[in-house]
Amino acid sequence: MTDCHGETGCITCGDVAIEMTVLRVDDVRLLALCASAGGEKETVETELVGAVAPGDELLVHAGTALQRLRAA
Amino acid sequence: MRYVDEFRDPELGRALAGEILSLVETGRHYKVMEVCGGHTHSIYKYGIDDLLPENVELVHGPGCPVCVIPMGRVDDGIALAKIPDAIFTCFGDMMRVPGSKGSLLDAKAEGADVRMVYSPLDALRIAKQNPDREVIFFALGFETTAPSTALTLRRARAEGVPNFSCMCNHVTIVPPLRALLDSPDLRLDGFVGPGHVSTVVGARPFEFIPADYHKPVVISGFEPLDVLQSVSMILRQLAEGRSEVENQYSRVVPYEGNVTALKVMSEVFELRPHFEWRGLGFISQSALALSEAYADLDAERRFGVPGVRVADPKACQCGEVLKGVIKPWECKVFGTACTPERPIGTCMVSPEGACAAYYNYGRYATEREVV
Repeated sequence: MTDCHGETGCITCGDVAIEMTVLRVDDVRLLALCASAGGEKETVETELVGAVAPGDELLVHAGTALQRLRAA
Repeated sequence: MRYVDEFRDPELGRALAGEILSLVETGRHYKVMEVCGGHTHSIYKYGIDDLLPENVELVHGPGCPVCVIPMGRVDDGIALAKIPDAIFTCFGDMMRVPGSKGSLLDAKAEGADVRMVYSPLDALRIAKQNPDREVIFFALGFETTAPSTALTLRRARAEGVPNFSCMCNHVTIVPPLRALLDSPDLRLDGFVGPGHVSTVVGARPFEFIPADYHKPVVISGFEPLDVLQSVSMILRQLAEGRSEVENQYSRVVPYEGNVTALKVMSEVFELRPHFEWRGLGFISQSALALSEAYADLDAERRFGVPGVRVADPKACQCGEVLKGVIKPWECKVFGTACTPERPIGTCMVSPEGACAAYYNYGRYATEREVV
C-alpha cells in the first residue's frame, strides 16, 4: 500500500493526486492493482474512469482514479 | 522523470519570469490568491515568489483540507474514537490536528484504537477484517477526496459491511471563495484555481468569479512552471482587461470535470445547510453530509456526537492566514509556540497549510533577505 506520507506529510490530506500505471484489472469489482513511479503498489477504484487495461496511466487520489491520463 | 522534468526546466522558468515582468504595470500592486494548499506548498518549496516582481503578491487561500477543520469537529471525532471497542480511522495529518483537549494522536496514546489510512477503501478493508468491531472513517477533504468516500460507502452497502460507518467532514470549494470575495478586508485581483478539485468539478463552478466579480481565474497544475504560467495568464488577462476562466492544467482537467464522480457524489451526499470552517466561521451550503439514502452509514447518526462548538485558540491567527489577510510569519505564535512538531493551529499541521509550508521552506527566503 502506498504510504500516507509523502515527502513531508500526508498526500491524501494535501489534496495531492499521483500518476499510477495499471498492472492488473478486476473487471467485476471495478478495481485495479496499480504502481506509482516509485514502484509502490496500491489497489485503486476505477469506476470513475471507465474500463482500464494494463499499461494505462491514471491520476489517483485516495485510492480512486480520477482521470485516465494516457491509454496503454 | 517524464511529465515532471519538463515542468521544472529552469530556462523556461526564467523565460516565464521575464514574461510576467513585461505584463505588470509599474505602480500597481497585484494580489493573486492561490486557492489550493498544494499550490502554496509548491510556491514555498520552489521559491516561486522569489521569481515574481515585487508588486505581484501571492496570497494563500483556504484550500487546505486539514486546515479548515474546526476544533469542535476534532472533539467530535475523538468522542467517536473513544467508543469502547471501536476502531477509528483517518488520514495521516488529521491525527495531529489539535482539538480542545488534545488530538486524535493523543487519544490513541490514551488507549483509543485510532488508525491511519491512506484511502477510505483501506478503512472498509479494516471493517471487513474486524466484523465484531465498529469501524468509523473520519472523511475529510474537498471535491478531490469526496468521490473516494462516496464510492467506498456504495461498496460498503453493496458488499454488506454493517460495522462500517463514516463521519463526514467533506467541504466544497466554491462557498468559501464567494465568502472571501464578499469580504471587505481583502482585495484580490485574480485566482490560481485548484487543479485537483477541478479534475472532479471541472471549470464551470468557477465561472461566477469573472461573471459576478470580474476577476480572472486560471486553473493550474502544481509543478513550478505550471504555477508561473498561471500567474502569467492571470496578469495577461488583467493587462488586456479580460476576466474569464482559463485552464492551464488542460493535460489533466477536462472543462466539464468527471461527470461520473459528480453523479456518485450527488447520490451519496447532500449539502449541509451550514458548516463551520476554521477561522472563517459558518458558511452556508459549504459542506457535505450523507444523504438520507445512506443515513444508516452515518456515524454521527449511528452513535451521536456532542456537536459542541469550540472557539479557536486566542493566540492562533489561522483565520487571518486562511483568508490571506496576514502572512504566516505575521502570526504572533508562528515558529515559536506553534511549530509543525507542536502545532497550535491547523495551518501548521499539514504540509499544504500555509504556515507549515512557509516554516519548512519559505523562512529561508527571509533569512536570505536579512543577509
